Amino acid sequence: MSRSVRVADSLHEEGENIGLHRFALFTACCTALLIFIGGLVTSTESGLSVPDWPTTYGWNMFAFPVSKWVGGIFYEHSHRLAASFVGFLTLILAFWTWVAEKRQWVRMLAVAALGTVMAQGILGGLTVMLFLPTSVSMAHACLAQTFFCLIIAITLFTSPRWKQGLPIAHPSADADSSISLPALCATTTAAIYVQLLLGALMRHTDSGLAIKDFPLSFGRIIPPFTSSHIAIHFSHRVGALIVSVMIVWTFLRVRSAYRKYDLLRRPATVMFSLLWLQLTLGASTVWSSKAVLITTAHVATGALVLGTSVLLTLRAWTMIPARSAEPSKPSRPSRPAGEDARVPSWQ
Amino acid sequence: MRKLSLLVCSLVLLSLAACGSSSNDLPPIPAGSGGGGDTPVATTASIMGKISFEGEVPKPGKIITSADPNCKKELFTEDTKVSDGGLENVIIYVSGGDVAGKSYPVPSTPVEIDQMDCHYIPHALVIQVGQKLAVKNGDMTLHNIHTLGEANTTWNVGQAQQGMVNDHVFDKPEVLLPVKCDVHGWMRAFIAVLNNPFGTVSSQGGKYELKLPAGKFEITAIHEKYGKQTAMVEVKDNDHSTVDFKFKASDAKSGN
Repeated sequence: MSRSVRVADSLHEEGENIGLHRFALFTACCTALLIFIGGLVTSTESGLSVPDWPTTYGWNMFAFPVSKWVGGIFYEHSHRLAASFVGFLTLILAFWTWVAEKRQWVRMLAVAALGTVMAQGILGGLTVMLFLPTSVSMAHACLAQTFFCLIIAITLFTSPRWKQGLPIAHPSADADSSISLPALCATTTAAIYVQLLLGALMRHTDSGLAIKDFPLSFGRIIPPFTSSHIAIHFSHRVGALIVSVMIVWTFLRVRSAYRKYDLLRRPATVMFSLLWLQLTLGASTVWSSKAVLITTAHVATGALVLGTSVLLTLRAWTMIPARSAEPSKPSRPSRPAGEDARVPSWQ
Repeated sequence: MRKLSLLVCSLVLLSLAACGSSSNDLPPIPAGSGGGGDTPVATTASIMGKISFEGEVPKPGKIITSADPNCKKELFTEDTKVSDGGLENVIIYVSGGDVAGKSYPVPSTPVEIDQMDCHYIPHALVIQVGQKLAVKNGDMTLHNIHTLGEANTTWNVGQAQQGMVNDHVFDKPEVLLPVKCDVHGWMRAFIAVLNNPFGTVSSQGGKYELKLPAGKFEITAIHEKYGKQTAMVEVKDNDHSTVDFKFKASDAKSGN
């Protein structure tokens, strides 16, 4: 094969891969929008406004007349159509990845995303057919977040920058090294996920206004636990406090030790900013007695916080050498530290 | 002789039929804004009274119906409907006493509830276990009927066309059983599913009349927002007693 042909092949492959990455990014954006629309269904209590599934009032759901999208049907039916669209995008993404992607584990990840979106569709149908049982509705809400994380991971792994290899990041010499950033990021991500789970439990048990004041709870720091609704609601508040501490800690750690690494600093800053937005929305949800748009924005922002944390965690795990390799004990002495050092990114 | 026998038999049969007819054709229970339909049980006494409302009457809230252009523009909340100092939509029913352990025939006529101008008519109703509930869509729009029972199985069915009627039967007693439309989130109705035919709903001025057989009964008055009250009453044949109830504005349940 001549050199010119090889260069052409390489450029062609590069173009395909950028296309795949952009398509994954588009799917991630659509998924975020889908989570927002799903949140609207719960906020407007429209989950059972279309009693049948997969049909809509007896129609094929794609043929349901627009003139009949009234009241709660508008939200529920839009959610079903948006979910079908994201399912279709995921099918294309999985097929495209399977054909174009050489890394087996990325292909398997795309297949896992397809399986997840199918399971999510079935859970959505089940929650309608079983009249919104808390367990199924919660599973539906949490699987949505898991799927979003998977799509974000695929978007990251198919990005040209990831494939070229990310720089090895070394902490500043004067930085506190009590805990490694990858471990801290992973813990933060886990805390956010648990917090989203508690949020879903609160929404689907109708405990959102079990405590009607904020920041106090019935005028006290610890409320009287006279009902399970109060306990669930309060656990979400405690979770918010823990997550806030974790995110601020992560942000400060990145700022102090990895400031010069844009790939870490940017998501950490975005996550930190989203935290304040999320806390404001959470408080406003209580103060506004669960105003539909505020409550739904709270759900969607929660997903964005999780997504950003996943992105930061994956980059941190890849860019930062193992705990023992931090400045005092470098594990890659042969590699020069800084932006020019590259790691193979699990390829 | 044979002709005489035939005449006697015919007269006996006619009188038996007339007896049956007299018990079955009792006037239906005056049901206020909703009732249990015909009562195939002899009721020789009655209690009547007023459900008075004490305190400041909350102003009905205007419902925003813009989500569906087919709905009436001027709709107001119905959770507190007071007229002439009386509270409407209170369900009054026999909750104990001489009905215990007895079974009653189930009326063959269904209890009807209509969806008109995107609200339920009636707002509160009484039905007997096993009696048919007929839900009609009188609107030019879609509705879903969603019962939120705890003792009874949840029922959720869609009505896409005007004039559609769906039937449902509750198999367990349950008071109160809410009904909602998820398409129009403001639509609420309340059903008392009883295992006896003795129930009614207060109407204009909070007035009610409950026909009963002779006996000693526990009477309960229940409202979706102001809770419930009970009273014991003993009635004899042809008695017409008065039992009043009073609900207070301060008894209102706060929403979650």
